[in-house]
Amino acid sequence: MLEKVLEVNNLSKSFGKTKAVKNISFHINEGEIVGLLGPNGAGKTTTIQMLLGTLTPTSGDAWYFGKSFKDHREEILQKVNFCSSYIRLPWRLTVYENLDVIARLYGVKNRKRRIKKLLDAFDISEFEKRPFASLSAGQIMRVVLAKSFINYPKVILLDEPTASLDPDIAKKVRDFLIREQKEFQVSMLYTSHNMAEVERLCDRVIFLNKGKILAEDTPLGLANKIDISRVDLLINRDITKAQGICVENKWKANISDNFLKVELKEKDISKLLSTLAKSGIDYSEISIDKPTLEDFFLQVSSKGKLPQKEK
Amino acid sequence: MNWNAVNGIIFRHLYNFKHSWDRLADSFYWPAMDIFLWGFTSVYIAKQAGSIPQIIVVLLSGLILWQVVWRAQYEISVNLLEEMWNQNIVNLFASPLRVREWVVGAFILGLIKMFFSISFATILAYIFYKANIFSLGFYLIPFIISLMITGWSIGLIVSGLIVNFGMRIQTIAWGGIFLLAPFSAVYYPISTLPSWAQKVAAFIPTSYIFEGMRTIIFTGKMSEDLLIKSFLLNGLFLCFGIVTFILMFKKSKEKGLARLE
Repeated sequence: MLEKVLEVNNLSKSFGKTKAVKNISFHINEGEIVGLLGPNGAGKTTTIQMLLGTLTPTSGDAWYFGKSFKDHREEILQKVNFCSSYIRLPWRLTVYENLDVIARLYGVKNRKRRIKKLLDAFDISEFEKRPFASLSAGQIMRVVLAKSFINYPKVILLDEPTASLDPDIAKKVRDFLIREQKEFQVSMLYTSHNMAEVERLCDRVIFLNKGKILAEDTPLGLANKIDISRVDLLINRDITKAQGICVENKWKANISDNFLKVELKEKDISKLLSTLAKSGIDYSEISIDKPTLEDFFLQVSSKGKLPQKEK
Repeated sequence: MNWNAVNGIIFRHLYNFKHSWDRLADSFYWPAMDIFLWGFTSVYIAKQAGSIPQIIVVLLSGLILWQVVWRAQYEISVNLLEEMWNQNIVNLFASPLRVREWVVGAFILGLIKMFFSISFATILAYIFYKANIFSLGFYLIPFIISLMITGWSIGLIVSGLIVNFGMRIQTIAWGGIFLLAPFSAVYYPISTLPSWAQKVAAFIPTSYIFEGMRTIIFTGKMSEDLLIKSFLLNGLFLCFGIVTFILMFKKSKEKGLARLE
């Protein structure tokens, strides 16, 4: 049985009358990457701050490695770290000095070797003597990522870690995260607005909206909760007539160049194709896109509730 | 006490010191300017009013000892502000660092920096004005300890307020300690103060030290009572400072430390 490295029980946070996080409970198993998704203001960052102890919860608690965070804060934080696109490091200090200070705070042994390894892993060795203030946004993010792995964490909280990274560097970071997960069984709580990245990295996704957990499933499981598929057809002639047929059947249809783009329930795809055939509409290309995590995100964020799938 | 964490805090600010002209100026430029300003002023007063004996030593010793209070307070409060300006508060307090370790780190840093800037000011005062602070003899040690405790206490109160109310009140990091200055009677006897202010001064630990300093310079003797009163009051000040900082920090965490960045 997988060991739970983080267990969150009925965690809530109110700021005056505003309830930012409402009674959420979830867990992360050893070596698992869990995505924490939700629109802006959903309570993701507030949750992460509570899990780091920089924000006191109004009620509820968190347990790491079977120990209460409230009672074993220092011992737990020795094995936990975080990275956020919102944080910075002292700007006058060089990259090396910053990592050295953080390593000292965590009491890391063989500091020089550890720092060198992380500088290499995140491709920032050439900046080690440069002041933090002189780095670009992407370089800053890589230094912050290096900082977050300095203490060999067992649990790491990553708040949009690939924001502001070039695609090639973002890929390197993702590869590094997967390697850490596989080799050292590092568990991660991961927030990102890049849905494709979440689909690729996360074993499980928790969807937050207005401070509540709306859904929890694998990325594929969440995507499958959406009943809308997209069908793109290259219509050879009578494209307007084809669009009319869609409208009659209450399917959303747009024309782009010679393509008819139809959004409809998966079970209606065969009906669409047979109706078009019966009407003598000829098409030469077809592509069918199944719903993705992004579709789930967009639909749930805009409606604020889970889609009701027809049986 | 996790000394690794304390060590981390000390190195964080020593590295910063190396790169920061502001902090270098705080430690050497401003004390030097103070010494020259007050040095020339006291030379002028000594020429005009020769009846005040050892005026140069009185003013410059007062100035150097006041630097002890000011630096002790300043190191704690401005180190905290440095973390806010650098968006580093969350990095620190999401690590195993405890509040008390941060405070001890700030105390030790204050000691290190105070040693250098006070030594620098002392040497300047001696070279340019022949004012020798070591004429206070053995009492210089308890004087410095007492003044440092007052500075730390005020530093903790000021930092507590900043950590709770944020950077909008950051000016108190520079000005807060000067509320005590008039009542501390740094450059003049307490008897110069109006009677209501003398009553206030009786509750300020630094007033006994500066009074004691002048007594030694003028008479060569020191009343132990002054020292005892100063240390007793400092005990209360320090307890109040610690409790204030801890309570304010706790309150700040309820609102979230990230908002301070």
